[in-house]
Amino acid sequence: MSSYTKSRQPANISAGVTQRNRLGEWVDRHSGTFFIAPCATLILIFAIFPTVYSIFFAVSRVRFTGDGLKFRYVGLRNFKKLFFGSSEVQFLGRTDPVSIFGYAIFIIIAVAVLVWLWRSGKYTTWVGMIGRTISAAMAIFLSWLLCASLLSGNAIGTLYTTLFYVIIGCTIQFVIGTGLAFLCSQPIYGKNFFRVVFFIPLMITPLGVGYAMRMLADVTKGPFEPLLAFLGLSDWIWSTDAWSARFVMMVGDSWQWIPFIFICMLAALENIPGDHVEAAQVDGASSPQIFREIIWPQVLPVAATVLLIRMIEAFKIVDLPNIMTGGGPGTATESMTLQSMFVWRANDMGSSAAIAYTLLILTVVVCASFFNYVVLGQVKRAGA
Amino acid sequence: MVLKKLSVLTLSVAAIGATAIPAFAQDFKGVTVDVLTRPGYVIAGPLAERGKDFEEMTGAKIVVTEVPFAEIFPKIQADWSTGTNSIDVGVFAAGWGVELDAAGLLEDLDPYIAADPKIDLDDIAPYFREFGQKVGGKTKLLMVDGDFQMVYYRTDVLSNNGLTPPKTWEDYLDVASKIHGQDMNGDGEADYGSCIFKKRNAQSYFAIQTFAAPIVQTQGTAQGFHFDNATMKPIVNNEGWKKAFELYKATGEFGPPEELNMDIGDTRALFKAGRCGLIVEWGDPGTLQLDDDATAIRGKMFAISAVGSKEVLDRATGELVPVSAASAPYAVDGINYAPFAAFGGWAGAVNKKADAKTKAAAYAFLSYMNQPAQSGIDVTIGATGYNPYRVSQLASTDLWVKAGMPQALADNYLGAINGAISNLNMASDMKIPGAQKYTSVVLDTELARYLAGEITVDEALANIEEGWEEVTEDFGRDEQIAAQGLALGN
Amino acid sequence: MQQIFESPAIGKMSPMAKILAYTLLGVWSFFVLFPIYWVVITSFKDATAVNQGPFYIPFIDFQPTLEAWRVQFTEDPYCTVSAIGRQLWLLVYNSAVFVVSPVVGLNPMEPQICKVYLAFTNSFVISIFSTGLCVLVGSMAAYALARMNYAPRFGNIMVFVLLLIGVIVATTYLGVPWWASSSAGLAIFFFLLRALRGYFKMSLRNNDILFWIISQRILPPIVVVIPIYVMFQAVGMLDTHLAIILLYSVANMPIVVWLMYDFFRNLPIELEESAQLDGATRLGIFWEIVLPLTRPGLAATTLLTLVLCWNEYLFAVFLATVKVQTMPIMVSAKNTGEKGILWWEMSAIISVMIIPVIIMAILLTRFISKGVLLGAVKG
Repeated sequence: MSSYTKSRQPANISAGVTQRNRLGEWVDRHSGTFFIAPCATLILIFAIFPTVYSIFFAVSRVRFTGDGLKFRYVGLRNFKKLFFGSSEVQFLGRTDPVSIFGYAIFIIIAVAVLVWLWRSGKYTTWVGMIGRTISAAMAIFLSWLLCASLLSGNAIGTLYTTLFYVIIGCTIQFVIGTGLAFLCSQPIYGKNFFRVVFFIPLMITPLGVGYAMRMLADVTKGPFEPLLAFLGLSDWIWSTDAWSARFVMMVGDSWQWIPFIFICMLAALENIPGDHVEAAQVDGASSPQIFREIIWPQVLPVAATVLLIRMIEAFKIVDLPNIMTGGGPGTATESMTLQSMFVWRANDMGSSAAIAYTLLILTVVVCASFFNYVVLGQVKRAGA
Repeated sequence: MVLKKLSVLTLSVAAIGATAIPAFAQDFKGVTVDVLTRPGYVIAGPLAERGKDFEEMTGAKIVVTEVPFAEIFPKIQADWSTGTNSIDVGVFAAGWGVELDAAGLLEDLDPYIAADPKIDLDDIAPYFREFGQKVGGKTKLLMVDGDFQMVYYRTDVLSNNGLTPPKTWEDYLDVASKIHGQDMNGDGEADYGSCIFKKRNAQSYFAIQTFAAPIVQTQGTAQGFHFDNATMKPIVNNEGWKKAFELYKATGEFGPPEELNMDIGDTRALFKAGRCGLIVEWGDPGTLQLDDDATAIRGKMFAISAVGSKEVLDRATGELVPVSAASAPYAVDGINYAPFAAFGGWAGAVNKKADAKTKAAAYAFLSYMNQPAQSGIDVTIGATGYNPYRVSQLASTDLWVKAGMPQALADNYLGAINGAISNLNMASDMKIPGAQKYTSVVLDTELARYLAGEITVDEALANIEEGWEEVTEDFGRDEQIAAQGLALGN
Repeated sequence: MQQIFESPAIGKMSPMAKILAYTLLGVWSFFVLFPIYWVVITSFKDATAVNQGPFYIPFIDFQPTLEAWRVQFTEDPYCTVSAIGRQLWLLVYNSAVFVVSPVVGLNPMEPQICKVYLAFTNSFVISIFSTGLCVLVGSMAAYALARMNYAPRFGNIMVFVLLLIGVIVATTYLGVPWWASSSAGLAIFFFLLRALRGYFKMSLRNNDILFWIISQRILPPIVVVIPIYVMFQAVGMLDTHLAIILLYSVANMPIVVWLMYDFFRNLPIELEESAQLDGATRLGIFWEIVLPLTRPGLAATTLLTLVLCWNEYLFAVFLATVKVQTMPIMVSAKNTGEKGILWWEMSAIISVMIIPVIIMAILLTRFISKGVLLGAVKG
């Protein structure tokens, strides 16, 4: 249907064109709309509208009856239950008693955040200030929660379990992934082999990864049993202790996602012009110096972006905890998505939507903050 | 192993089946019946296999879909109440049917039964026929399996240690502590005193009710042990349930280290390997011990129909009082027993909104599964997960001995089940709307967190009370009071 | 210490550094490959080989058997060998029915009863169709954002959104059939467009739209799943393939747009300009010139989307009941059995589930090594 094999007038001559060409012209003029419309419409229907509709679920109690769903408006009761009521300990963790150490750290962090907020008031716009206030509020809330729960020796809830997977998990994955990428970017043989092999775990169905990790971590029948017996750990059941379960979960998650960091950082490292490095080597700089002064600044923008993308994905973790521990001993390894899914399974759609919405707010604020203050900062500095 | 049994099953079925339903011959050609149930060979396997025979006889195709246990009820409820109607037959706990029926989603099976000469309704034990299959006086479900939770013990281990089978839960702990760590299957490794499936989102919440029933229920089946029937206020935040929780957690000291992560599949693997001295289970161990891979325990696991309590709950004060004629009229020898009909039994219900021919085929299939000829064979095979519920299966030991059970075991096994069924203080599983939510969500979550040490027992009970009140309000307190009355036969 | 790691010459590594590098890389390769290896060989073990403790090497430590594979694929009475043939035919036939059914009212063949074959086919069909839809729609949007100065006026967008909401509410709540409400909405939209032309000068820029599309990725799927469930239920589309295909397309569209945007940006613009001078339409340019030029990028994006659709779990859990069970759902349903998890049988199924994606991953790395996907990350 190639139209330039027929002889046609150029598009901007309108006099004397036929009806059919008029339609074709009109389509062509509005081709932007036609190209984008399907995409935008689908996203509006299946992403934006449900997000808004979800608010109705979050403020109601929903029931299945003989002919469909019945909504009963209850205001913020679902959220109250989550933050102050019977789900509080599961969601936020235990927050009393707060130790002196906890109080001290919290005060330090809160002051630092407020100072930063105050300082930035001097050079940001109105809109920027609102954004920063939101980030600051979230930072203070999260740090209070951390100090009251973990740093005071209390148990943490699903909120911080999710953040644990995100922050600690992403950090470890980033360090290992970048390290691997750095090694692979050196002049060695078998680069392609390593590239292929290291990439595979990213594509494997998370469910399969979960089961594989479960099999491997089995203390009595798994392949590491001789090693564990040698270390005297043959009675250690990782799945009955909250922190070891979370740790094993993170290992599984890292196994799957380190390839992502690896691939992106490898591409970035390979894009560094070789002559910079060679010139530095000629000048007699040592390898750590080269890395710190030349390589690292150049990959920093990519690194920040990759970390952001990885964090966005990490907030959504659900398959692995579900399969590996079913939520862990008690509720220890439940991520927020998993908690929402379990609650949905109990046909309590109101609470499920409330948890999902809280996750959405958490994800958006944390990722947007990271994007604005870290990623954009790096990109600007690199002048990219 | 299973294959051999199944080929025997299929051959015998084919022989019987050829004469069983001549009236249905090829009546349902072109009809497909979609069945939804739990995964594994348990429950789903016989449905699929007999479904194939059913297809040969009548032309109807039986498709069995499996979903994780915790998803069975939500999926069926969502499917039927939203009008999606992908599922024609749901096979689930008899008690969960009440909520679906309240929404008008279950097909009334009485007309089909009246026209069915083969079902032999009177043979079904009265408890299952009246309480299990009927909702609001009409038959809405057909049982395929009858469920009680019982305690089993290793006769050889106990007699070697000079112990008698436990009568109360304190005895249970005592026995478990004395046999814990001994080698019970001759492989040189230390084995466990007590094995109970304590995993979350699995079957743990049934076991805790087995512990709580004899402490909290004293005045007969109609009293119940979950709610104050007049007001539907939960009677769960008191000394009685607290003691049950603490006893339940205490059994963990004498159990496998991974007990908190073990569901029924894992504990079954364990006791079949001969590694458990005491277990809390349904009727399956009676037949499972005859399997080829259970040679370590064959004929050695005897059942106790109920383990009771010497202290019971005084509902007026919320305190525990010793058993007496006033506090526990059904007590025997100073011990109050309340066998818990956990789960009520797997039963099949038909989607009211399916089309007529599909419903007829669905009923015919359920009837086929339920008939004495098929059911009588299925309940003797442990792997199927079907436990006896028909008088003909429970009255005489012939059927069981023929299936390979030693006479002594058959006597004990049937005696235990019959003892449980005929006990006037038998505790019923919940059969009101939201039953699944009350137990498998609220109770199960708080129990799991308590066992994992995340919360104290007082917090757990308070959370359960709050959660149950929330569910009651969701469904409407007055409706729940009425439903509870119907369920307990008041 | 530092001396032994210093490189002896430009572009070369010292022997010690090389040893260290190879060791670390080797160790990591072991970490990567071992779990996959373990899963595959477990599928060739029998019960005793699994339960008696770890055995590592087939033929030396334990005798491999095909028991697990046989049980999974043939023990179910309906999973016969001839069912494989039927399954392939069902795939072709149902895909054809799916395409022509709006025009010709054909009935799809009854789903395969054998669970494993059914799940595999569902995953296969859904992945292919949703990838096709996603890549098509996504690359069109990406091309528009990369090349055209698309500046929709804010007012038009508001009108569009409001009408969309109206259509959805009408279909979901008031039970209006979807074709009626959609046509009515469209008609009102065009009318209002003409009527309100001239008002609301403010418009969005390309970058805003791009940012908006890509930021959809931040949306946790759990937030949208329940309303989508209700919406599909209102139009009676629950447990159908079409519903899941649409949903998967939307879930993966941000990635496709993001990647394709970069590929289109990097194309030399001269070709398109000359084609435009020759009088070609936009669509013609897109279809005939641009797409073939970005074939490697297109292939990489397609493969990536295929894998993401194959692996998807959350949406399928909520929306699929019986007919549309995909492989991850079926695998998770096998979670409990009477004997505890039968690891050898689970491994057989998991192997079937992950082998296609491993193959796709290997294919994908060939594109990555050509630096094809790098541009996206930098941008």
